[in-house]
Amino acid sequence: MDLSLSPAQQLLQHSARALLQQRCPPERVQELALDPRGFAADLWKEIATLGWPGLLIPLALGGSGGSVGDALALVEELGRACFPSPFIGSAIVATTALTTAGGRRARELLPALAVGERICTLAVLEESGRLDTDALAMPVAAPGRLTGRKLFVADAHAATDLIVLGRGLAGPTALLLPMDRGGIEARPLDSMTGDKLFELSFTNVDIRPDDLLGAPGGGGTLMAPAFRLGALARSAEMVGAAQRVLELCVEHARVRVQGGRPIGGYQAVQHACADLYRDVESARWLTWEAGWKLESRRSDADSAVAMAKAYCAEAALRVARRGHQIMGAIGYSEEHPLHLFHKRILAASLDAGDAGLHLETVARAIGLS
Amino acid sequence: MDFGLSPAEQAFAEEVRDFLRAHPPETFPEDGTDAGYGSGAHSRPFTQALGERGWLSMSWPREHGGQARPMIYQLILLEELAAAGAPFGPLPGCLQVADSIIRNGSEVLQREILPQVARGDATFWQGYSEPDAGSDLLALKTHARLDGDHWVLDGHKIWSSHAGIATYGTVLARTDPASTRNRGLSMLMVDNRLPGMDVRPIRSLTGQVYHYEIFMDGVRVPRDWVMGKPGEGFGQLLKGLDTDRFWGRFYKAPFLRRILGLLVEYANAALLVDVVARRRLAHAATEIAALRALFYRAAWLIERGLPATGEVSAAKVMADELGQRVLSLGMELLGPYGVLRAGSRWARLRGEIEHQYQTSWGHTLAGGTSEIQRTTIAVRALGLPAEPRARG
Repeated sequence: MDLSLSPAQQLLQHSARALLQQRCPPERVQELALDPRGFAADLWKEIATLGWPGLLIPLALGGSGGSVGDALALVEELGRACFPSPFIGSAIVATTALTTAGGRRARELLPALAVGERICTLAVLEESGRLDTDALAMPVAAPGRLTGRKLFVADAHAATDLIVLGRGLAGPTALLLPMDRGGIEARPLDSMTGDKLFELSFTNVDIRPDDLLGAPGGGGTLMAPAFRLGALARSAEMVGAAQRVLELCVEHARVRVQGGRPIGGYQAVQHACADLYRDVESARWLTWEAGWKLESRRSDADSAVAMAKAYCAEAALRVARRGHQIMGAIGYSEEHPLHLFHKRILAASLDAGDAGLHLETVARAIGLS
Repeated sequence: MDFGLSPAEQAFAEEVRDFLRAHPPETFPEDGTDAGYGSGAHSRPFTQALGERGWLSMSWPREHGGQARPMIYQLILLEELAAAGAPFGPLPGCLQVADSIIRNGSEVLQREILPQVARGDATFWQGYSEPDAGSDLLALKTHARLDGDHWVLDGHKIWSSHAGIATYGTVLARTDPASTRNRGLSMLMVDNRLPGMDVRPIRSLTGQVYHYEIFMDGVRVPRDWVMGKPGEGFGQLLKGLDTDRFWGRFYKAPFLRRILGLLVEYANAALLVDVVARRRLAHAATEIAALRALFYRAAWLIERGLPATGEVSAAKVMADELGQRVLSLGMELLGPYGVLRAGSRWARLRGEIEHQYQTSWGHTLAGGTSEIQRTTIAVRALGLPAEPRARG
C-alpha cells in the first residue's frame, strides 16, 4: 500500500498549479464562461507544449504514455483552477476511444491530438439525455448517409474531429468524422454552467467505409473504457473544484469579522467547514482508489468507478451548495469565483453518466436482483 | 498510488479467514454486549484464541515479545474479523493500551501487563469522562496524591465501556492539587481488584449493560503504575486521541458493509427491490466505500507518523453518522419486523438490525461527540480560530 503521488505526478501537479494560477485566474474563467464561443486557444497551445493533451497517448504515437494516476493528478489540478477546456472530452474520453479502437484513422489522428493541433469531441446523447447505449436511436451505417440530431455535444466550436455513436444494424456503432464534413451543423445551446454545449444536426452526411471506428455493432464495447475513464476524470475534476471551494470558504471564515471576531470562530461556521473537509477528503480517496483498481485491472474496477462518480457528484455538490451559505452575500455576486466552481461541479456531475446511471451499476455489483 | 496488499499481506488475510472458518465466531461464549462499533460482542475466549495465534502482540517491538509487524497487518486482522461479525470487542482497547504502555509505561507495567495482553487475559476500560466532565473533559475532579510508594486515588468516572468485566482501567486523574485545566494530570493504570474500587453497571437503552460507573474511594495504586511521568497525562491523552479515535472506528466500514450485505439479501428475498430501495442501498454502498477509503488514508498517515487529526476526526464523524443512516434504512426496509428483538419468533436477520439501530445512537457521542470532532477539524486541521472559552 502506498497512498502517495509518484515524484513525476507531484511534479505534474506542481507545474499545472503554477501555470494555471498565473494563466488561468478566475477572471479568465469568468470571461470565457460569459463568451458563448469562448475557447482559450492560447492556453490550449501552451498546455500542448507541456504535453498535457498527449498524456494518455502512447509514446509511439507522439504522446507520453501516461497512466490513469497521471491523468487523475493532472485533472484534479484542472478542476482546482476551474480550467475551461475540451481536455476531458478530447484528451481523456476521445483519446481512450481512439487508442482502444486502433486502425489507420485513429493512428493518424492521435499524434495530432498529442501536439494539440487537433481536438476531438463526442456526439453521443440524444433527446432522451441518457448515456446508456440502449437509448441510442440515430441510425448509422458505413458506407451510408447520416441524418439525425445529437444534443449536449461539448466544444463543437473548438473541435476539429468528432466521434459519433449511433445505432447500426449490428448494434451501437461508432464513427470518426472530421467536423468540416459537409452536412454537419453546430448550434450552441445556452448553458448556465458556462460549458460550451451544442446541438449537432447531420443532414445527409456522406459516410465512407473508413469512417467506422472499431467494428460495426462494437460501439458499446469500444466506448465502455472511454466512458469509464471519463467518469473517473470527472470525479477527479469535481474533487479539485471542491477542494478550491473549501479553501475559499476557510479563507473567508478566517478574515471576515462580524461581532468582533472572525466568523470562522463561531461553531456554526466551523462545523460547516468541517463537513466540507470531510466531503472533499472522502471523495478524493475514493476516486484515487478507483483509479488504482482501474489501473491494476481489478474485477471490481467498474463498480469502483461508478461509486466514485456517484459519490463525488453528491459530495462535491454538497460542498458547493454549503459553500454559498458560508461565503455569504459576496458569493452570490458574479465577480466572485464561487459560482464558477459550483457550475463546473454541476456540469461534471451530469457528464459521463449521472448518479442514477452509476448507482444502477453499483446496485448490480452489490448483488441486488 | 497503490491501495493493494502485498503477497505476504494477502496471505495473512487468508490466514485470518482460515482461522475464522476453523473457529466459527458464533461458537464462542460472549461475556459482554456488542456495542455496535463493528468489533462485535466482548468475548474473552475469542480474545484468548487470537492471543494463541500471536495476533494480539504482532505489531509490538520484539523486545516486548512482539513480531514488529507493520500496522497494515492489524488493519487486515480487524477488517477480516469485522467482516465476519466476530466477537472481538476488547481487542481495539487492548491494542491502544498496549501501544501506550510500550511508549509511556514504566518497566513494571511493561513486565506485568504486556504478557497478559498478549495472551488475551487482560482487557481494559478507559476512565476519562466524569458526571460533570464530558465534552469539557478538563473539568474532571478525580485526583490522586502520593502516600509513600502508592498513589491514593479518589473520584468518580462514568460511561466506561465494559469496565465491570475488564481487568484494568486507565484513569485520568489530577495528581498536582495546585494545577488547573490541562496541567498536573496523570494517567494511572488501576487494577479492578484493588480495595476501594466500586464498579456499577448502567443499563443502556438496548436493555443490556455496556457502560459502567466507577467509584474510587482511597484506592491505593502502586507508585510506578503511572504512565510516563506524573503530569504528562494530558499530553498522552492528546497524543492518544487521534489513534484512539482511529482504532475505535476503523472497522466500522467493513461492519456496515456486512450489514448492507444482510439488507441486500433481505431485499432480494422479500422482493423489496423497487427503484427507490435499489438506489438507496447502492447509495449506502458508495458511502461505505468512501468511508473505508478515508480510513485507509488516515491509516497511511498514522503509520508514517504524519499528522492525521483532520482525517481521523472526519472519518469518525462520517462513520458514526453513516452508521445511523444505514441502520435507519434497515429499519425502514424491514418495516414492522424491524423492531422485533433477537429470539422473537418473527424476528428478521437475527434481530441484528434492531440491536445495531439502537447502539448507533451512542456512537456520535462516544469517544468525543460529533460536535467536538467538527470543532477539532475546524481548529486543528483547517486553522480556524478557536472559540473563546466561557469563564468559570
